[in-house]
Amino acid sequence: MATRRSPRLVTDGQGFKRLIKAALGWLQHHQAAINALNVYPVPDGDTGTNMVLTMQSAWVEIKDSPERNVGQIAHKMAHGALMGARGNSGVILSQIWRGFARSLDGKEVYRASDLAAACREAAVTAYKGVVKPVEGTILTVARMVADAATAAAEVSEDLVYVLEHMVFAAHEAVTLTPSLLPVLKEAGVVDAGGQGLFVILEGMLRYMRGEPVAEDVRLVEAVDLITTGLAPGKAGYGYDVQFLIVGQGLDVDTISQRIAEMGECPLVVGDPTMVKVHVHVPDPGVPISYGAGLGSLRDVVVEDMQAQYQDFIAEHELPAPPSPQALQDIGVVAVAPGDGLARVFQSLGASTIVRGGQTMNPSTKDLLEAIENLPVEHVILLPNNSNVILAAEQARALSNKSVAVIPSHSIPQGIAALLAINYQADFETNVAAMTSAMEEIETGEVTTATRSVTINGVEVADGQVIGLHNGELKVTGTTVEEVVRALLKEMNAADHEIITLYYGETISESDANALADLLQQDWPNQEIEVIAGGQPHYYYILSVE
Amino acid sequence: MSERQPGLGRIEVSPTAIASIVNEAVLTCYGVVGTAAKNLPSGIANLLSRDSKRGIEVRIEDGQIFIDVYVIIEYGTRIAAVARSVMNVVKFSVERALGVPVAEVNVHVEGLRISDID
Repeated sequence: MATRRSPRLVTDGQGFKRLIKAALGWLQHHQAAINALNVYPVPDGDTGTNMVLTMQSAWVEIKDSPERNVGQIAHKMAHGALMGARGNSGVILSQIWRGFARSLDGKEVYRASDLAAACREAAVTAYKGVVKPVEGTILTVARMVADAATAAAEVSEDLVYVLEHMVFAAHEAVTLTPSLLPVLKEAGVVDAGGQGLFVILEGMLRYMRGEPVAEDVRLVEAVDLITTGLAPGKAGYGYDVQFLIVGQGLDVDTISQRIAEMGECPLVVGDPTMVKVHVHVPDPGVPISYGAGLGSLRDVVVEDMQAQYQDFIAEHELPAPPSPQALQDIGVVAVAPGDGLARVFQSLGASTIVRGGQTMNPSTKDLLEAIENLPVEHVILLPNNSNVILAAEQARALSNKSVAVIPSHSIPQGIAALLAINYQADFETNVAAMTSAMEEIETGEVTTATRSVTINGVEVADGQVIGLHNGELKVTGTTVEEVVRALLKEMNAADHEIITLYYGETISESDANALADLLQQDWPNQEIEVIAGGQPHYYYILSVE
Repeated sequence: MSERQPGLGRIEVSPTAIASIVNEAVLTCYGVVGTAAKNLPSGIANLLSRDSKRGIEVRIEDGQIFIDVYVIIEYGTRIAAVARSVMNVVKFSVERALGVPVAEVNVHVEGLRISDID
């Protein structure tokens, strides 16, 4: 899967369906790990299972639906979650989806602001279901996610950006749970339900970023839990041991005391007939032998935490949180024709937009002024047109600031580069990352020939519609629609996942959507994004990735 | 509920005390929006209360604890799942506090509160 390179501004019903599938897969992957965390309200070790069953029921409800309306799909899945709600966490999760769906009522697609509103409604609905909301649970996580979504949607229209912030907030909230709910702190765990919600959102984000989402429960489980900082680092790693003792007249307090002497993170709960034990020890034999002396053991689980921790390091690096503000010391100057594209670049974090493009190239002076006017020392320049690259290089040479030109030949390349900015990395790393991101995208442009000519063996008559693939003339035709189609074939759209259409100033939104609907019939497996570019000359700018 | 401690005396826990534990537990149960006096004819407002133990009955028979709770549940939740979770949470809370097994927890859903219509 390719890493996503164009902004995601809308999600429709089918897109949401894919997100739910990814969330379910990722949740299944973590099911056992979440079960192991479960100490509240009843330490019965089934939170992960309950959440998976609830999400499965939600997924089954929508998996065969061809519905494109996101409000409809959300309602269906919320209904499924409700019908399949299992356990305390499942019921809360179903309420979260219920509020989420209600907010999306009647919406064809959701945008960043709709997503934020839906998260808010989800949290509000979840809180309504209980007389005394307990903080330090999934409720806290839902609320902090809603806050983050609201803040992020004010900064960017990019859904990936908003989801990144939601996931980061969920991670923060989960980390906070032990300080809010004492029973978690005593057990040395974070809240299981909260962790589950984090995993669901993380699964969605992974899908949107094109990262793999495990779907097989039997794959390695229990790796990347958010810990309370107890597991890694302290006194080596040893083994995570869990078991149930079944017997008569078991003395929970004595067992608890003995287990606590054996290792870290002890958790002993139960009654005289059954006791659940959890502890981290250097030698798993010690607690197991002790338990076996008291009664019969069930559900014995021993996990090597050293291996887990290494997997954790290898496989799981939580994305560094993008800061909601612009970059601290890097500014981006982007060249864009048309209001729509200027807005797209701005919403993705470009500091300054210089108007220009085909046949109206900005001068070196325009670019230099834009660079000098930015209050930062490091400036990245996105020319976004072959004809502007030279002027951009000259501006770079003239400026005293540290300036890098990412030689983007087209608008989609510029957007791909801008999306690759890492909010934590330094200037050089960003320049390299943006350059390589730019090179991975295929660009198509549809315009009208201004004279009769033969290029690359393609004959063109004045006034014909022509299609360019990565700047080279490839197809001609009499209608825009015909050329867009032929061009997408030329670009091998069927082998990619996302098709983005930026429609120009002469095309109306309804025309663009009508074209997208037609294209969807030819490319039923691709996601099609329609974005108002407002560019002159080009009917459509296309990208596939 | 009483228990002899050899050489010391007796510890007695009244059903009312147990009802307080149950009440606290029930009100933190997700999906439960209140307790209700049992068998209220419908149409009479079931005023919800945070403190009242009127929706909770505790009986002790032969040293075993039997608990009945009468609850109002949020409309739109899965009632069976909420009720099951009430059973688990009540049983766990009482057993943790008293160290005595609970024989039965019966959940009676007396009504639903509708805060949102989907």
